[in-house]
Amino acid sequence: MSDSPAILEARDVSRSFGPVEVLHGVEIALRAGEVHALIGENGAGKSTVMKILSGYLEPTTGELLLDGKPVRFSSSEEAEDKGVILIHQEFNLAEQLTVEENIFLGRELKRGIFLDKKRMQTEASRLLSALETRVSPNARVSDISVSDKQMVEIAKALSRNARVLIMDEPTAVLTNREAEVLFRQIERLKASGTAILYTSHKLDEVARIADRVTVFRDGARVAAVKAGEMNEDQMAQAMVGRELSNLFPAKSPMADRKTVLAVRDFDVENIVADASFDLRRGEILGFAGLVGAGRTELMEGLIGVRAARGAVEIDGKKVAISNVKDARRLGLVYLTEDRKGRGLVLTQGMRENLTLLALDRFGRYALDAKAEDAALTKAISEFDVRAPTRDVRVGNLSGGNQQKLLLAKTMLAEPDIVIIDEPTRGIDIGTKQQIYEFIHKLAASGKSVIVISSEMAEIIGLSHRVVVMRSGRITGILQGDDINEDQIVRYAMGLEGRAAA
Amino acid sequence: MKLTALAGALALGVAFATPLYAQDAETAVIGVSIPAATHGWAGGMNFHAQATIAALEERYENLDFVLSTASDPGQQVSDIEDMMATRNIDALVVLPFESEPLTGPVARVKEAGKWVTVVDRGLSQENIEDLYVAGDNPGFGRVAGEFFKQQLPDGGNVLVLRGIPTTIDNERVEAFEAAIEGSGIEIVGMEHGNWNRDDAFEVTQDLLSRNSDVAAIWASDDDMAVGAIEAINQAGREGEMWVLGGAGMKEMIERVRDGDEMVPANVTYPPAMIGTAIELTALNFVGNAPVSGEFIIGSVLITQDNAEQYYYPDSPF
Amino acid sequence: MTSETATIAPARKGFRIDFHVWGPVIALLALIALGAFLNPNFLSYGNVTNVLARSAFIGIIAVGMTFVITSGGLDLSVGSMAAFIAGVMIMVMNALVPSMGVGWGVIFVGMAAALVVGVAAGLVNGLLITQARIEAFIVTLGTMGIFRSLITWLADGGTLSLDFAVREVYRPVYYGGILGVAWPIIVFALVAIIGEVIMRKTPFGRHCAAIGSNEQVARYSAVHVERVRLAAYVLLGVLVGIATIMYVPRLGSASSSTGVLWELEAIAAVIIGGTVLKGGFGRVWGTVVGVLILSLIGNILNLANLVSPYLNGAIQGVIIILAVVLQRQKKTER
Repeated sequence: MSDSPAILEARDVSRSFGPVEVLHGVEIALRAGEVHALIGENGAGKSTVMKILSGYLEPTTGELLLDGKPVRFSSSEEAEDKGVILIHQEFNLAEQLTVEENIFLGRELKRGIFLDKKRMQTEASRLLSALETRVSPNARVSDISVSDKQMVEIAKALSRNARVLIMDEPTAVLTNREAEVLFRQIERLKASGTAILYTSHKLDEVARIADRVTVFRDGARVAAVKAGEMNEDQMAQAMVGRELSNLFPAKSPMADRKTVLAVRDFDVENIVADASFDLRRGEILGFAGLVGAGRTELMEGLIGVRAARGAVEIDGKKVAISNVKDARRLGLVYLTEDRKGRGLVLTQGMRENLTLLALDRFGRYALDAKAEDAALTKAISEFDVRAPTRDVRVGNLSGGNQQKLLLAKTMLAEPDIVIIDEPTRGIDIGTKQQIYEFIHKLAASGKSVIVISSEMAEIIGLSHRVVVMRSGRITGILQGDDINEDQIVRYAMGLEGRAAA
Repeated sequence: MKLTALAGALALGVAFATPLYAQDAETAVIGVSIPAATHGWAGGMNFHAQATIAALEERYENLDFVLSTASDPGQQVSDIEDMMATRNIDALVVLPFESEPLTGPVARVKEAGKWVTVVDRGLSQENIEDLYVAGDNPGFGRVAGEFFKQQLPDGGNVLVLRGIPTTIDNERVEAFEAAIEGSGIEIVGMEHGNWNRDDAFEVTQDLLSRNSDVAAIWASDDDMAVGAIEAINQAGREGEMWVLGGAGMKEMIERVRDGDEMVPANVTYPPAMIGTAIELTALNFVGNAPVSGEFIIGSVLITQDNAEQYYYPDSPF
Repeated sequence: MTSETATIAPARKGFRIDFHVWGPVIALLALIALGAFLNPNFLSYGNVTNVLARSAFIGIIAVGMTFVITSGGLDLSVGSMAAFIAGVMIMVMNALVPSMGVGWGVIFVGMAAALVVGVAAGLVNGLLITQARIEAFIVTLGTMGIFRSLITWLADGGTLSLDFAVREVYRPVYYGGILGVAWPIIVFALVAIIGEVIMRKTPFGRHCAAIGSNEQVARYSAVHVERVRLAAYVLLGVLVGIATIMYVPRLGSASSSTGVLWELEAIAAVIIGGTVLKGGFGRVWGTVVGVLILSLIGNILNLANLVSPYLNGAIQGVIIILAVVLQRQKKTER
């Protein structure tokens, strides 16, 4: 395998932004028919090197070689023309266009001067069915789910006959089943001689599909090995640079069995039906299920951003919540899974974002800028937010730091009940550990926490009890030894507990 | 005034003939297309059009009118096309927004065998219309220029406020300049006030800042005169200069009549010409003598002596 | 960003001029220098007062427009709204003269009427946009036509004039002042200062920016999105009312040609000032600078025969585009 020549290679590549060098003389070679995994913490320089390889950024020093010859991509279009394609983590899809229009955007098939709609439709259907996706080529991208969007991105790349395919955390938003489909496609591409660069925070995935692994830390390459030469623990250690003992803190015993939140026969729009569950003081309640099972919608119904019916009691009192403000007043807050779309204003600074939810704490008629600054200082140290400057735009922070800021923003509202949706999506392992520690402490201090997650390990490692949902209904509530992968999957797939409520 | 009287006489004459005619005649439809009331003069013109139509509809059972007001030339073309297509008009009375764009559409109405009356603004092609009723734009400028010459025999500095850049405005200003030629009167500032009070106010403010010696302002329109007078008052230069507007707005006529030194005179450009045109057109369908040709309504100087007869308290203008 | 030991420093202060911040101010200073160079009367007390006072109407409206645009909205109806409010105000005052006599009483009722109609007009726009969920562009395009027609109808196609005696009493509101500063200038300055404070220092201003950047984020952050957007339109309506209160004593009349194109001037001033048309970022002081730039262009062109008057519009267009280009340059570097 090491015999196959590198299609695309970076040699001694450095990159600076202004006076700050963020990438220090790294090397990476992508070979035909090989899956090359690139791992590292958020901010380790993975995105930068991917952007350099795909023509979005130019290296400050060092060179790129394509088929052994030096090459300079002046734009991503030029790189694409030469068969080097990057699939972004944040999708680059035109939301108002259909799936088919997106797949062929910029290189539409034509007959004469007119679009060859029929051929594009057929081709799009073929690509999508190869990916085992049921999404229609005629669906509008704004209407399809996040995981379908990922599949559309991949279909788009496939339609461009990529020689080098660079994927930035493709599985972050996919369910296990969808990820399996993706891996099969990767196998197929590999067999046809495509070079693939792949990043992921899921080290089990990396161990499974990668032929070669490169580890980055702080903008430098710290390891480059063939598959099998490193196990998952070693990879994690190389990334973090220290030993990661236990990812999850030990579950604390629940001190108090008092119910703080009781939900009965709760319906949300046409998505969730008859949901009933209790949350106790100091409890971490996990919500498991497939993507699309209605977990997020249930929580959005609870905090009043979706129309809902049903009984909700907080501390034994019946409450009516019709918007986020009502929920906040009752001590109930929700951390969205959609950090960029619903959680943070990317074009504004950290201060404005931090205080937005609890703005009334900083003055009803006039805002106290000093108090806001103090709150930011406190949040930065408390949640270990790492930013280049205090007034950086939030859109320029890495995913992990955005998530920490979102946590800080939510905690500023001093809630009693915190709902966290996908707390660690797209976040490196070091930050993950910090966030788990934080959730653990939150519960230990007497707050109650609901965690929605599609990562099984997370649900199992954190939760005192686990609610499993399927198709908008709660199919089971597990506790104690029942909290294991097998049980959760059985309920999530509908093999158990159809009648459970 | 003369013309209104003339029209009245004609209408009266026709009124006697009507009963005979109306019985066997089919109903005739007359389309009237005019610009919307976007400034004072056009407002007066709209008022007279509506008043005339109401009077004629009452008097003649066999006459129907379609009135449409347009806020731009494109809309006016559509209005005329609609009248042809859906109302089956027998005659069109049109005050063109602009000459060029309306010439083709109006020519097509004529080709379809309809009667065409053009008011105020001529079409850019001759001999399309059966009847042309218009004010005298060069005359308007000339009368104003002559008044300036008479008031300032030794010459002096004057300011000129122009309207919206159009043929009408150009004709007026050229005639004004020709009339004051060689009199020693010098135009020291000329800007467009767009026949608008606010624009005229601001332009006059600036022109006054720029020129310390001004004997008179030709505002060329009464709306603009209102703005100019306000600007003069604000600058505290009331005694220095007088203002000549135009078109016979009732408030201005009142000031002329009352001997206001700042407003010594006015020049007519009657918005009532549209009423005259409609009445003359109507005669073709209720009388037996078609009235065709050209009617130019001259611009007349109004001074304190004759102001009373130009004062219409009921008109909005 | 990556270093473990990185501390978070305050933003570095560069020596380069940040055109995004200073662009409009530089353009304004350049215009002032040009004006002073072309005509010695330019900086005279009279001319400065003229320019500032005539800027007041558009300026007061533009301050309100800054909030609407910052929250991601738009209002095309303000020019027609001003004409309509002026018409109603004049009719109310004229109608009250027989019963109340001539005096400040009548004028105060007229002012109150202007504010009430302003609030009502803002509510109509705001409710249609937030409750009926129609695009702001369409709603205000519609009300633009409605208000314009209403004033034409009220004035019978002509001009509504304020009772002469009332006008004499009311006149000082435009032409008078204290310590040589005309009232419109004082009111404009107050509105601008209060607007700047509201935008920067209050939850309302912060909420407007948040909604303009990302409505979803605002909604999930316990911001009453509909209520804030509605409030922005009502605020604008009130400010149009205040602008009208300053406008009516100037010429004492209202007609269908009152306030034509004010909406575009106000929007242009807001954008020249650095507020983002798509929403999410607004600054009131920038809007004030934008308004002054627009007024000065007209003033300078009138004071000096630089070009044919036919080209005045072209010069304005070029300067507007230049002022915005100057600000954008910095952005592409980022």
